[in-house]
Amino acid sequence: MRRGPLLVTFLSGTVIAALFFIPHHKAQEFNSTLLGWTLVVYAFALALGSLSLWENHARKIRTRSEGWPYSLVTLGALLIVTGLGIWKGVAEGTPVGRIYNSVNSPLGSTMFSLLAFVIASAAFRAFRARSPEATLLLLTAIVMMIGRVSIGELMSDKLPGITEWLLDVPNLAAKRAIAIGVGLGAVSTALKIILGIERSYLGRS
Amino acid sequence: MLGSGLVAPELDTRWFDPARLNVLVGILLFLGFLLINMIRAKAKGTLYVRPIAGLSALDEAIGRATEMGRPVLYVPGLSDMSEVGTFAAITILSRLARRIAEIGAEINVPCYDPVVMTIMEEATRDAYRQAGRPDSFRPGCVHYVSAQQFAYVAAVNGIMLRDRPAANIYMGSFYAESLLLAETGNTTGAIQIAGTDKVTQLPFFICACDYTLLGEELFAASAYLGREPVQLATIAAQDWAKALAAAAVLAALLLSALGQPALQAWLRVS
Repeated sequence: MRRGPLLVTFLSGTVIAALFFIPHHKAQEFNSTLLGWTLVVYAFALALGSLSLWENHARKIRTRSEGWPYSLVTLGALLIVTGLGIWKGVAEGTPVGRIYNSVNSPLGSTMFSLLAFVIASAAFRAFRARSPEATLLLLTAIVMMIGRVSIGELMSDKLPGITEWLLDVPNLAAKRAIAIGVGLGAVSTALKIILGIERSYLGRS
Repeated sequence: MLGSGLVAPELDTRWFDPARLNVLVGILLFLGFLLINMIRAKAKGTLYVRPIAGLSALDEAIGRATEMGRPVLYVPGLSDMSEVGTFAAITILSRLARRIAEIGAEINVPCYDPVVMTIMEEATRDAYRQAGRPDSFRPGCVHYVSAQQFAYVAAVNGIMLRDRPAANIYMGSFYAESLLLAETGNTTGAIQIAGTDKVTQLPFFICACDYTLLGEELFAASAYLGREPVQLATIAAQDWAKALAAAAVLAALLLSALGQPALQAWLRVS
């Protein structure tokens, strides 16, 4: 039962990997065509996603689950925005464009701005000097915070240099070590999928 | 714009890019390591893999959810199927869902990408089937939320605050939303386990979660949880490749210091 999907995975995986090494213009055109196909798949999947969203919220409304009025708002927004998009288009100046600029963008920015507060609360927890390692982290953080603002340079002209060294030497070394591990892990996972060792993504055992 | 062969890409007629020979050699070596370790694993029956605290804690998290009668929230990250991290998230979900089905807990998987949602739903359904409890699979437990980053964050944070999951598991590729999610989860008192291949997000998860899988551990998770010899062979191959990479970096460094930068130049990926 799984032979077909496994063969498709193997062929597409090896072909795409091979195209990485082939700079021939025809090969690269073929690569672009293959990547273009993913857009078609995505368009169909988006319909499935909308259906899932609809079913999930419709069930909440039917069963009067906690917070069901919010589901009503979600479904209403889904219907209205989709309808307006089909009727008037989605370009700048259309109703959908205006909804995007005046509702969607400010709401997104509001969520993003919360990051400042959660960083402060996470930092407060992380910088408690409970062990020698945590104390080292706290001291490094203090040096970094002071060294990256104007007052740091006024306190000592060496502070900006120290922060640069912290970023460029110990920090970069650790980041690169993790990045090498991630790179090898990604290659390993890709090979597992191409060779059919990992099959759980296929479902239907 | 010129390609690596110093000709415009649309005029390039070469069938192999010599600048990428190092990548090809690396992949072939990795394949060799994989093959050797698969033979070793089949002969021995298993391979030793060091304990990974974050993965060992998954059982604890599921057990806690069962005892408390609350769901496990599985957040698969914000990437699509072009990211290897998403594949890792799917394979981990598959193993996790099987255990959840076996002990009768509940899972909730809000998705950002509709393609990922479709695949995750099928993988979860299959996990319930493999556990011998296909009837326990609740349609809608893997569901689509939004393909907008902060709309997704708002929805998932809402789920955390309303449903109060006993365990929040974040696996896959995350961006600016990582701390917003993890910090909200932290305030609800849930046990939190995260794993990501995005180096810049790791500090946030380390701060806000109980356990964090660092980079490559995310990719090792599936093999670690499955314990199948062939899967474990991939972890061993990864370790061998890492040792080789470290040796190559060291050799390039020494040779460069001695005025021979050829190896350093060859290792650079174009």
